[in-house]
Amino acid sequence: MIERLKKYCGCISPSGCEDEIRELIIQDIQQIATRYEVDRMGNLIAFKKGRKTPDKKVVVSAHMDEVGLMVKYISDEGYIYFDPIGGIDPRVVGGRRVVIGDKRIYGVVASKAIHLQKKKERGMVVPLEEMYIDIGCDDKKSCEEVVSVGDVATFVPNFEEFGDGLIKSKAIDDRFGCALLVELMQEELEYDTYFAFVTCEEVGTDGAKQVAFNLRPDIAIAIEATTAGDVLGAPKSRYACELRKGAVISHIDGSTIYDKKLVEYALATAQENNIKCQLKNVIAGGNDASAYQRTAAGARVLAVSAPTRYIHSASNVVCKDDLFEIKKLVLALLQKGF
Amino acid sequence: MERIFELACAFSELPAVSGQEHIGMERVAELCKGYFDSYEVTSVGSFIGRISCGKAGAKTLLLDAHIDEIGFIVSEICEGGFLKVVNIGGIDPRILPASEVLIYGKKTITGIFTSKPPHLQEKDELEKPMELEDLAIDTGYSKEQLEEIVSIGTPVGYRSPVVRLQNNAIAGKSFDDRICAVSILRALEMLKEKELPVNIAVQFSGGEETGYKGATTASYQIAPDFAICLDVTNAYVPDAPAYRKDIKMGGGPSISFSAQTSRKLTIKAVETAKKNGIPHQLFAEPNHTGTNSGAIQTSRGGVPTVLVSIPLKNMHTANEVVMLSDVYDTSRLICELALSLKEGM
Repeated sequence: MIERLKKYCGCISPSGCEDEIRELIIQDIQQIATRYEVDRMGNLIAFKKGRKTPDKKVVVSAHMDEVGLMVKYISDEGYIYFDPIGGIDPRVVGGRRVVIGDKRIYGVVASKAIHLQKKKERGMVVPLEEMYIDIGCDDKKSCEEVVSVGDVATFVPNFEEFGDGLIKSKAIDDRFGCALLVELMQEELEYDTYFAFVTCEEVGTDGAKQVAFNLRPDIAIAIEATTAGDVLGAPKSRYACELRKGAVISHIDGSTIYDKKLVEYALATAQENNIKCQLKNVIAGGNDASAYQRTAAGARVLAVSAPTRYIHSASNVVCKDDLFEIKKLVLALLQKGF
Repeated sequence: MERIFELACAFSELPAVSGQEHIGMERVAELCKGYFDSYEVTSVGSFIGRISCGKAGAKTLLLDAHIDEIGFIVSEICEGGFLKVVNIGGIDPRILPASEVLIYGKKTITGIFTSKPPHLQEKDELEKPMELEDLAIDTGYSKEQLEEIVSIGTPVGYRSPVVRLQNNAIAGKSFDDRICAVSILRALEMLKEKELPVNIAVQFSGGEETGYKGATTASYQIAPDFAICLDVTNAYVPDAPAYRKDIKMGGGPSISFSAQTSRKLTIKAVETAKKNGIPHQLFAEPNHTGTNSGAIQTSRGGVPTVLVSIPLKNMHTANEVVMLSDVYDTSRLICELALSLKEGM
């Protein structure tokens, strides 16, 4: 799973530009899926036949897109101004490297340098609209030869294992979910199951809404990366979740109140199988579950997430053991059935 | 230029946070192999290399670039495997959240500066200045494991392998001032086949970012007759004051006029550049130059010094940007100026 995650994290696929990651996933599932299709909005829906056909239609869902930047304006001096794609904290953008467009042009995000700041500006966070990307060009014309308004950028791929069993990379949110779905599809499944790789989660769960409408599932399980607040100085009551404590089950987040029976079922399944699992203790964030819950007549929803530090930055940090625990839990749920 | 890129990659990676340059010195000596008749590492963390011209009573030209970089040292090892650090040299805390560092402990390990998750942020937080104290470094180890690897005082540096941008520009850490060390070595390559009129001493000085310690002591030891101090200078970027508009990326080395340098040698440098068609730019900084030039110029009975700077963007960040052509033109200027020095100033 880790090698696959690394490969997926290397794709430059922000919301609306999921082609690269989708092609990689198709290569990986074309032999193992019973069938699959790409819908007209770019969502990839795979079906895997199990030993039995269940009464309820179950979909496991992960989003292919990642947060990124879009080129808005190229100045006469050859600097690139941008807007974020999805929610990005300006504090994790300044000073980072990005890769832009199909030509994979490297750039550096800069803003008013410290020696140019007036005393009252020192340390103040620069808004994204005052930052610019420097690709080394010194005029508009040469810059426009390689970059165009509308091109997208992401943080530079930087997957690496570090510390005691941790991983850092851009886009673990939610390439982890994509990698996990493919891993699950490799198993002999007890029941027929749908696997949805959806687009545009970061800009409003758009892809999941389309999949939910077309598929009409009874039960939808979102596999996500969720923010872990277990950093130095934060109060435990505000951690949301912690690394090394296993799969995160949410009762409630910023956009969904989850199906109580499913939550209890997941917790019981974890306990039966000795799988590490924790409850998210802060109401924050949101994911594709909200789309599945609200589309058409609605589905019962569950979210199983990887605790992730520094989400939506150039270095999401997760623990490998947590990822393995999540795989165990979701597989156990699928094998038991609903 | 490819040679410059190669050297830039090697020098950028040196682990030499100001005050702890000794960690990188073995590698510096390795990179300097074949360039000098003799070399030594001083007790305060500078590298000195000497080339003799073989002439009796010849004067000595000093070439200076500082080898130290800004960075951090560990101030506390905390629960959960986090490190608190203090800065060594001037660092803008705003560019740190979620960035990568290398921690030079018993082994070198990766760390990530923390960034506060959105749900923990207070309403008016963006209106308040950011402080280094608000951040920590996530190492991925437990406190107990970490105590085996690092201690208070362990140096920490940016992690940022060199990449090529468009237009012969490159981005990386510590080009302040390692890119000038590169320009010196490239100049020595250009001088290899030439007959030297003077002895050359090179000092890759430590401790510039924290008070010019290395240059003060190495210059004393070398006792040169004249010196070229090489550093980087802020190139014009949007919102910079108008007087920086003529320090352009790609415009060649900037030659400074200052009371901290020798006017005579400065004019000679400008004339040498003109005579040899070397692109260059002029900069006026009458008082402190913020470089080693003052320390060198006031060494012993005084050393006429010229300050030559390579234009650079994003100083003191993990992504300093320079242009290979500017480095090359700086090497040419060093080479031609060295060849033109026949007698004392």
